[in-house]
Amino acid sequence: MQEIIKKALERGQRALSEYDSKKVIESVGIPVTREKLACSGDEAVVLAEEIGYPVAMKGCSDKAAHKTEMGLVKLKLTTADEVRKAYDEIVGKGVELDGVLVQEMVKGDREFVIGLSRDPQFGPCVMFGIGGIFTEVIKDVSFRVAPLTELDAEEMIDEIRMKKLLGEFRGSPAVDRKQLVKALVGIGDIGYKHNEIAEIDINPLIIAGSSPVVVDALVVLNNPN
Amino acid sequence: MNVTLKESSLEKFFNPSSVVIIGASNAPFNLGATICKCLKEYISYRGTVYAINRAGEAVCGCDGFTSVHDLTEPVELAVIITPARVVPQFVRDCGAKGIQHIVIESSGFSEQGDEGKRLQSEIDEAARQYGMRILGPNCLGVLDIQSRFCCFYGAYPEIVEVFDKPGGVSYIIQSGGVGVLLLESLMTDVQGPHKMVSIGNKSDVDEADLIEYFNRDGTQVIAIYLEHVGNGEKLMSMARRVSKPILVFKSGRTAEGTAAALSHTAGMASNDAVFESACRQAGIIRLRSVGELHSMPKMLTEMPLLRGNRIAVFTNSGAFGSISADLMVEAGLALPRLGAASRELLAKIGGVFNINNPVDIGPAPPQTYLDIFEILLSDKEIDGLLLMSSIWREFIIDVMKELVEMCKRYDKPAAIYTPNSVARILSVRKEFGLPLFDTAEEAVRALAVSHEQFRYHRKKENPYARNHQESA
Repeated sequence: MQEIIKKALERGQRALSEYDSKKVIESVGIPVTREKLACSGDEAVVLAEEIGYPVAMKGCSDKAAHKTEMGLVKLKLTTADEVRKAYDEIVGKGVELDGVLVQEMVKGDREFVIGLSRDPQFGPCVMFGIGGIFTEVIKDVSFRVAPLTELDAEEMIDEIRMKKLLGEFRGSPAVDRKQLVKALVGIGDIGYKHNEIAEIDINPLIIAGSSPVVVDALVVLNNPN
Repeated sequence: MNVTLKESSLEKFFNPSSVVIIGASNAPFNLGATICKCLKEYISYRGTVYAINRAGEAVCGCDGFTSVHDLTEPVELAVIITPARVVPQFVRDCGAKGIQHIVIESSGFSEQGDEGKRLQSEIDEAARQYGMRILGPNCLGVLDIQSRFCCFYGAYPEIVEVFDKPGGVSYIIQSGGVGVLLLESLMTDVQGPHKMVSIGNKSDVDEADLIEYFNRDGTQVIAIYLEHVGNGEKLMSMARRVSKPILVFKSGRTAEGTAAALSHTAGMASNDAVFESACRQAGIIRLRSVGELHSMPKMLTEMPLLRGNRIAVFTNSGAFGSISADLMVEAGLALPRLGAASRELLAKIGGVFNINNPVDIGPAPPQTYLDIFEILLSDKEIDGLLLMSSIWREFIIDVMKELVEMCKRYDKPAAIYTPNSVARILSVRKEFGLPLFDTAEEAVRALAVSHEQFRYHRKKENPYARNHQESA
């Protein structure tokens, strides 16, 4: 993690790419999507077959904080032809990219958000709540000041209005709370120990079966440059 | 990130053996003179009071001087109430004279533009240089019932009344106006304050320092009115170490998150949501109104804590039985069905309309009340009582007095609301020292507050230790 952050700061980045953001998040033991960076259409096909269809493809850049709006996200790709075509379209947008991310499609109806922000008086704060594209409209979130105890994490999970979604839901098993607690405590610890990280968005955090998986993430840096 | 506290004690702010009021004169409407008058005439402060003014004249019987340097005896506390521009020089004079504790009541500092900020930093600089502790600027000062000391400017003669009724609640207030409201309200309450201190712009002493101080003195409950938090981490770590109840009412609930943030998280993290979370983590009870600052503490000083959420309601009015049931659910409290044993005992007493919860009785003699208290408080499936009986005969006052004693014996609290006029409630509360609440809502809220404090007791721990160990 230290290495990724150091390089990004040296390069004057304001944020990390999705790929690097997930590496930072994964380092505290939070499961992320299986994914690899492709630098050509052919390479993308090889990776897609390795990961298994369907796949998602995303243009990967530290300057692409709003990938969907920029046309850099292609979902549910099921054939080699679709992957090649998606590769060309993403690269064709003219955004400077580190490569194109080929990523497993995680199955799950329940989407949550975990975030980190910094309060001027209280310092690093962890957020948990309902994720997905309507996060800010639904605004069903809770906060805790980092570092978090496991009890803090348990309490903040229970504070959201739609906490019933965490139980058994439409044939899906209950969410693995231990993993969720570990993720919240882990994000808090990142915030408490790394002043060079200003903000984190993990959205969506999709529940695959009972396990939370980070599907998209953004790490914003405190870059003095 | 470590919080370091200055060694110097805050004791001299509350219990000085001598004090100099800088800016007290005989000019009309002089605020410093009101402090001299209060100390000398209203509350008979036992220490020596000096006045500093341009003429060097005596004020309300306090010897006057033109300069701090002319004081012949050592002075423990200086209160400065002069125009802002001359305050830094007076602070330096005090430092040179060896006065270590300064209350600055003057306004016109960081709350008022760049020039004010500059003056405040001059004060900070002087305080550092001489190792002084500063309270304020822009504050009302300090009140201590036990030492009979008060340097609130503008105090009026009625203030004497709070000194006659010492209590266990210490108040930390950021604004003077709230202090006046609290003092007047406490005059009709069970207890007066223990201490009250206004922190103003808190250039040095802040709410966290005072929480620590009140944790060591005779204070039972710490109640705080806050406009903004200076150092959140310091406040949380101090609150975690304190097992006395800490109640906070904070204004500024509507402030929004940082609009310029890159992430969605930062956009949604309003300062208020973060403060709310910090309170839950550090074991601070967040109050919902200024009024709760004086209405809630009595539940914590007069009654044992509510150890569970199962409440028995006892009323002589069916209406208040159902009103309270609604309030109770909203407050997260439960109104369980009484067990067979309790119901059987209640059935044996004559005049009980409803032997279930809420227990409802008609006109009954005092012994019936006492018997029902006994049955409900001794029920192992009941954690506390909500009594809502109007004072329809004078003996209700006697049974309520007895209830307070029984609560102590059973280690279970009762919140009491008598459906009478507020004037009647206030007069009975004041005359008999009974912890009565003004409304049914307040009584139910008091039970919730008591239970919140009980739960905080169990969870105070320090997560900082874990992180420091890991990084070591």
